[in-house]
Amino acid sequence: MSGSLRRSWRLVDHVDRDLDAAAQMAADEALLDEVAAGAPPALRLYRWSRPALSLGRFQPDTDADADACARLGVEVVRRPTGGRGVLHGGDLTYAVAMPRPAGPEGGVDQVYRQLAAGLIAGLARLGVAAAVARHDGPAGPVCFAGQQGADLRVGDRKLCGSAQVRRAGAVLQHGSVLLRRLPFDETHLLAVRPGAPVVSSARLHAATVTLEELGAPSRAHQVARALVEGFAQALDLDLRERVGSTTRRG
Amino acid sequence: MNYPEELRYSEEHEWVAVDGPRARIGITDFAQDSLGDVVYVELPDVGVNVMAHASCAEVESTKSVSEIFSPVTGTVVEVNEALNDAPEQVNADPYGAGWIFVVEMADPAEVDSLLDAGGYRALVEEG
Repeated sequence: MSGSLRRSWRLVDHVDRDLDAAAQMAADEALLDEVAAGAPPALRLYRWSRPALSLGRFQPDTDADADACARLGVEVVRRPTGGRGVLHGGDLTYAVAMPRPAGPEGGVDQVYRQLAAGLIAGLARLGVAAAVARHDGPAGPVCFAGQQGADLRVGDRKLCGSAQVRRAGAVLQHGSVLLRRLPFDETHLLAVRPGAPVVSSARLHAATVTLEELGAPSRAHQVARALVEGFAQALDLDLRERVGSTTRRG
Repeated sequence: MNYPEELRYSEEHEWVAVDGPRARIGITDFAQDSLGDVVYVELPDVGVNVMAHASCAEVESTKSVSEIFSPVTGTVVEVNEALNDAPEQVNADPYGAGWIFVVEMADPAEVDSLLDAGGYRALVEEG
């Protein structure tokens, strides 16, 4: 009987799915719309076949240095979620779509904390002791240069950054777990805003850490499996792929 | 948490200050506290018609984007342009300088269906 009481979530394993950046964001947004329309919550895991710079929902287009992105073969895409610019390609990305919990449990921080428990449990399976980050307040244009209460750190360095959007009674939260570094970073791709402090590549490097640098397993499949197990354990979920999910076919 | 007695409230955490046929609308102290540091408010356009409980604006905090719902039906007649330069007013003064838009109500009696301060407090504190 105890097994039947576990909450049932859909698992959408897109680790090997070759989608461009716009299709990745569309797939996450589709999850949100499905859950808002009554579908069960879902955890989607994916990686980026080509480097991409994602901008937050309302971040100015001019934050991206279009010439630099073109030169380095980086797609630019807009996320449905808030936050600042994130470079993808060396990361594993997770997305959770769930109904917004009723009452105070539905607060932004509360949902972050609930999902952080899954991420922390997953990373623990890789031998990584991650914790919820400090809160720096409003960030500059580079997401990973600052820490927010939604992020995970190891020591004082950011390993995972996340963002949310809430729509029609549902929440989409997605975020990047840094696996390894690319030869360039956000500081090479984001334009400097007039009057804004310049974030150097060295400072960004010092503020972040990857699983590879931690000496932890950093292969996408292994990290994805650990995160699935972590979410299942920490949130007491029956988490499996289901035949017939529109997102799986997408 | 602050729940001014003179305001009415929606279950989606907006407040309404009624002045004749006009309703000034913002998000509550609880909502701004839940969202955290507000960095951008996507204001509705002046002149658009809004439906009660339909999404008409968005607020971005450091880590979330959330819809703002109009608690009443009518036409947007004024928006708080000052939030374009100072969105943090939503956090600092949610019931004052952090107001978001004003609706000319189609039916001012619609306000009677909203929560009073006691009802809203119960919603927030008792879930």
